[in-house]
Amino acid sequence: MPNVGAELASVPFGKMIYDMASAIARSQIALDKASIQLVKVLASTTFDYVPDVTEVLLPNPKTIPSVLDSQGNPLVVTGVTVQSVVGDSFPLTLLQAGVNPTFYSFTNSTIEVKMSITSTQESSNTLSVGVSVTASADFLFASGSVSSHVNFTTSNKYSYSVTGSSSMSTTLAPVPPPQHMMPRFILVNAIDPTKVTVSQS
Amino acid sequence: MAFQMYMVAFKGDFSDVVSRSVQQRVRQSNGVTLMVMKTGIIAAFDDALVPAIQSHPDVKLVGGVTLNPQGFAAERLQRIFAENLSKQIEVGHESGPAK
Repeated sequence: MPNVGAELASVPFGKMIYDMASAIARSQIALDKASIQLVKVLASTTFDYVPDVTEVLLPNPKTIPSVLDSQGNPLVVTGVTVQSVVGDSFPLTLLQAGVNPTFYSFTNSTIEVKMSITSTQESSNTLSVGVSVTASADFLFASGSVSSHVNFTTSNKYSYSVTGSSSMSTTLAPVPPPQHMMPRFILVNAIDPTKVTVSQS
Repeated sequence: MAFQMYMVAFKGDFSDVVSRSVQQRVRQSNGVTLMVMKTGIIAAFDDALVPAIQSHPDVKLVGGVTLNPQGFAAERLQRIFAENLSKQIEVGHESGPAK
């Protein structure tokens, strides 16, 4: 008789889990290396950041000599001049500016083993019995014969099959970058230097 | 199949020829260039096309990036991205204002 427990025990679960975990670990290292390379590029890419551009509207009246007002004076119309003040620029890296690298992590892994065990047993027996009787008689003698036969056949069919399949699946999801890798900003209030704000993006 | 933002870093020193060539590859892949820098470009394209971009001889690496809204210049970057994106979107003849 088939032993289902023995068949299940023969499945190399330990090796499958080890192989899968090993593959995930290797992939994770490769992904992390690629993300760290990206962090290096983002941290080394600088551009000049202009914090603010101030536009001041200044009065700019204009006199139209050909047009006189009710007092007989040349008409004065209002006008404005836009004075732009561009603040001093300073270098900023892409990482500081807010471009974050994407890190990936394997979040969920599943090993699924399906096994189908089929066992069939078929037996058939046939029994046939025959008896023939013949008798004859004449004036002096009488004779008779009896014959019989027994046929017995038996057959047994036995089949046993095990089929199995396994599948492995894993989920790769983007995760936020490690906190220690992200830049910190220390802002000092220019008016009151005792006010210092530390933030991390 | 998802449209994502990537940093495409150049190999070696910056040159107009290299930058233009990489941007053309992005364009051929139905992507858009959001920002150009000396070390590379920030572009958005389908994630299935990463190998096609990566195979460009002047590309060092292609890595996914996101815009952190808490970044120091995130708003400014978002505006730059939107401005550059609007220059590359083709509007069909049949499209028009919503009725």
